[in-house]
Parts: sequence; structure tokens; C-alpha cells
Amino acid sequence: MSPRPDAAARLRRLLTVIPWIVDHQGSALSEVAARFGMSVPELERDLELVPFCGLPPYSPDRLIDCEIVDGRVFLRFAEYFARPLRLSPSEGFALLAAGRGLLAVPGADPGGSLARALDKLAGVLGGADGMAVEWAPARFLEPLRQAAAAAERVEIDYYAFGRDALTTRRIDPHAVFAAAGQWYVDGWCHRAGDERLFRVDRVRDVRPTGEHFEVAGPGAAAPTSVFHPGADDLRVTLLLPPEARWVVETYPTESVDTRPDGRLRVVLVASERPWLERLLLRLGPATEVVAPDEARVAASSAARRLLARYLGGSPPCP
Amino acid sequence: MRFHYSMADRLERLTNLVAVLLETRRALTVEEIGDRVPGYPEEPDSYRRQFERDKATLREIGVPISLESLYAFDQESGYRIHRSDYELPALDLTEDERVALHLAVTAVSLEGGEGRAALLKLGGLVGDPAAPLAALPSVPALPTLFDAYRRRARATFRFRGEERRLDPYGIVFRNGHWYAVGHDPDREATRAFRADRIEGPVALGPVGTFERPGGFDPSSALRDDPWRFGDEQPVTAEILVHPPQAVWVAADLGEEAVAERRDDGSVVLRMAVTNREAFRSFVLGLLDHAEVLGPPTLRDEMVAFLRELGAQGVPQGDR
Repeated sequence: MSPRPDAAARLRRLLTVIPWIVDHQGSALSEVAARFGMSVPELERDLELVPFCGLPPYSPDRLIDCEIVDGRVFLRFAEYFARPLRLSPSEGFALLAAGRGLLAVPGADPGGSLARALDKLAGVLGGADGMAVEWAPARFLEPLRQAAAAAERVEIDYYAFGRDALTTRRIDPHAVFAAAGQWYVDGWCHRAGDERLFRVDRVRDVRPTGEHFEVAGPGAAAPTSVFHPGADDLRVTLLLPPEARWVVETYPTESVDTRPDGRLRVVLVASERPWLERLLLRLGPATEVVAPDEARVAASSAARRLLARYLGGSPPCP
Repeated sequence: MRFHYSMADRLERLTNLVAVLLETRRALTVEEIGDRVPGYPEEPDSYRRQFERDKATLREIGVPISLESLYAFDQESGYRIHRSDYELPALDLTEDERVALHLAVTAVSLEGGEGRAALLKLGGLVGDPAAPLAALPSVPALPTLFDAYRRRARATFRFRGEERRLDPYGIVFRNGHWYAVGHDPDREATRAFRADRIEGPVALGPVGTFERPGGFDPSSALRDDPWRFGDEQPVTAEILVHPPQAVWVAADLGEEAVAERRDDGSVVLRMAVTNREAFRSFVLGLLDHAEVLGPPTLRDEMVAFLRELGAQGVPQGDR
């Protein structure tokens, strides 16, 4: 059970429920409770208090009149609470972000009831055309969503970014979701014999197998963190110059300390060597690899490997 | 003489306080409020404390209480709630539209978001919730930036240690981050700020102080390719990308970037570069699959960069 709401939370609820009842006299308590996400006893407890509210001198004609007849509720003399409180900036923002976000999912109906609702909100919130939610393009999003919805096993070509390799595998797609701006498919990978998370933009092809899989219970909530470091993964300690702060903002870190000279000492997890090479190459000589030796060597040997291509490879174009 | 109620608990008192402040035609002094709302203590100091606490609670849930003069040119001030500030304007949502909003708020969750509270004000939760489909990060600066956008108020905040000002024309979520896009009056140019890099609170100037240009599209104003995000002398770079990466990189950069398709499946791509560091970072991110072909200055820079990095970490005496 959630903790008992405090006076602020109850007042907020009351100022929302009263206007609705005023507008829908004789509604069933059970319906009102369901609509406002509360239990009937909770609603009754709030309504018990309403007859003591009103205006001075708090004579019967100045108090709100609340009657419950056969489980139906009537409110009179509550004209000052005829409308709900306006949306706060956070509420307006959350509603529009969710609405724009869902409309931006491929396959959404741009002329449907959600779009109409957002248009109406735009009038109240002073223009919603200024908010855009963009999900990363993912070519195979729709076939994967369809496969997940129909519990169809599929074969995918997948670019394993960390290992810099193209792979083919059969998966049972359990859920498709967006987190941190990217689309992911969470599913059972028959090649790994384990549950795996795949980035949909790295899926290069999807082919049907004609097989179905058993759906195991209700889908899990969309995770907000998609990286789960393993205990055996390499921990790399770096000293980053201040302009390389983006690393901390982009990748999960195990620790971050700012040094007196302004550099950042960070520990991050590198599960695959190509991933680490890519990061260290991009950071370049201004970043110091503190530990381990393996990581220190990774940067310079990758740099020499690429350099060989420039010095001995194909000649530059004129 | 104050009213006393045996059953007057705090919730009742707060409800009456809202009703009284909504109904009054002029601002009420603190003393007058105490006379009209039952349930406050008699003792002036503790009454004052309780009233301040109630006022803070009302503001916390978004009740707009204004402090103003009792009468024109009057020194004495008091409190009231203007109906026009308080009430949600009529939206005339249909039940279908409420169902759609309920689905949206449950499918796309804004971390710590107030979407559900908003739905209640719009007439409650109708229909079934959706399965979670997408998560949006939440950033403390966002609601205020959004408020600045919709009320056309100038936003002031600290960004990378500097005080910056922005007339926000829109809010965009891209690549997993929220951006505020608008006009920077100090730089006299369109600028985008990543909202999670804003340090501390955002202050709002007076409402309605700028106009959004007609047809402004925040999405297209937010430049994407980082190598075009700079003020350097523009250079057209050519890179060679090997298969199988060639296909995907070409798809990402667009057909217009393709200068040549070779028989071995590799492609030559042209990129307009105004930020060489970001360009180098992009090419290196492709590891062994890509190479800078030209112009010679960019290729030489890449070689010098790799040489310096390659010389690091080589044990002494090894070369």
C-alpha cells in the first residue's frame, strides 16, 4: 500500500474531484473513484469532509451540500470549485511530452484522437507546435514490434557495435521499447542461450522463421538503464581533460572525481575491446589512461593500426 | 471573534482558505483571512506561522496566490486568488481523446513526470493503461524552459560556467537529450542548449516579451551533425568507408553525401565540416572501416593525431 497521502496531496485530489462531480451530478462513487485512481473508501473519506467546507459565515446555505444516494453523489453550492486547477508547468510539460512522444512513434495516427487532444491542449498551453520528440530512426522497428506483438520468432542480422562484428541470430522478441532516445528489442537470443538487449538501429535485417514462442507472463516495464556491467568486464581508469566531460554524460561510470587541475578521474566499464578502442581513439592524446596496462596499450596499438592504413594503404585522392 | 470547529482539520482549513480567496472581490489582509477561515489558532504568532505554512502548501500544489494592494494606491496589501489564474480553461475533450491521452502517458513515461496528475485535471483516467513503450529522461530545468517558451518569457541560466539568455522558440528531444532552441539575444543568433547541461535554476523574465517567428521549426533549427556544429572555415572532406559499414553510413548521411560507389562495395562520402574535432571523432568511431581521403590538410591532421596517440604507451626502449 502507498503511504497515506498528506494534506497537500489530498487537497490536490479534492480540488480535482469536486469540479468533476459538480459537472456530472449523480455519478456512481465507484465510477468517480476509478476515474481518479482512488479506492471508494478513499473517495468517501474525502467527501465526508466536503460538507464542512464553504464560505463565511458557514451557515447551511454557505456550505457545500454533499449527498450520497444509492451510491451516487450530488454536490451543490460549490460554484467556486466549478473548474479544476490549471495545469502546472510540470504537468503541462509531462502531458505534451508523452503525447508528442507517442505520436512520433512510427505507425502513429497523425489525425487520430491523440493528435486532436494535443491540438486542444495546445490552445490552452499556448502552442504545442514548439515541442518535438524525435526517436532515433530504426529501419526495422515495425517488423520487430509486429513480431513481438504476435510472438513470432525471427532471424536477425545484427551489428554488434562493441565487438565491431556482423552476426546472425534467432531471437524471440519479448518487448520493443525506447530508452535514452534509442529503440531496443529485448528478447531471448538462441545463439547466446540467454536474454539479450539489441539496439534496433543496429539490426540490419529481419527475416520470419514461421515459428512462434510462448509468451511468459506480462511484459516487463521498459527499463530506463540499458547497460548492465558484468563483474568480469574491464574497469578502465581515465584522466579526462575538462572538454571531454561528454564521456561522463554519455556513458555510465562507476566513479567520477574532479581533480584540482580540472581534469576528471573516471572509472568506466568496457565490456568489449573495440568499444574501448573507439572511445580512446576519439579522446586522443589529451586523455591519460591510468589503468590497467591492457587499456593503455589498447589506445596506442589501435592508433598505430589505423596509421598503417594511412601510410601504407590506398593513396589519397587528388 | 474566530470560528471554531470541532472537526476542522488541516485539509478542511486549506479547502476553506482556497474558497475564501477565490470568492473575495479584493485582496484580504492576513488578519481578515484569519477572521474568515475557521481552524486557525487565536494566538497571533502561531496563527501567522500556520497561515504561512498553508500558503506554502497551496503554492506547492500550484494554487496561484497573488499578493496585492487592498485598494488602488493603498499601502496595505493582502492575498487573493484570481479565478482567471486558477481555473483550467475549457478544453472540451471527448472521452476518446481522454483515452488517447491516458494511453500516451502510460506508454511514454517521463521519469518522475506529472502526466498522471495532469490527466486527473483533464477529467480523469479513462480506458486502460498502455504497456510501457518508451521512457523520456526528466531534467529539472525543463518545465521552466517549457513555461518560458509558451509564455514567451526570456530565460536566464548558467551554462558551462557562463550566464546565458534565451528567448525559447521550442523544446526538442533528440538523441536521448532535451534541447531548448531559440534566439540568443547576446549572440544575436539561433542557439540550442542541452537542458541537462544547464547549471542550477532557470529564471524567467516578464511574460510576452518576444514573438516566435512564424513557421519556426525547432527540429530543423537544431543542427544534428556535430561536424557541422562549429565556426571554423568550412571544408569539404571526403572519406572512404568499406563494406559492410558503407551501406549504413551512406544511409545515415543521406544519398546526397555519396560521391562515389566503388565496385568492391565501398563508398566515398562528402561531408561539409566546420568542426574538425567532431569530424575526426566521427571517422575514428568507424575504426578500421573508414579513412580520410582528403583534402590533404584533413588527412595530414588525422595522420599527426594518430601518430601522437600511437607513440603514447609504447614502453621505453621498445622503439
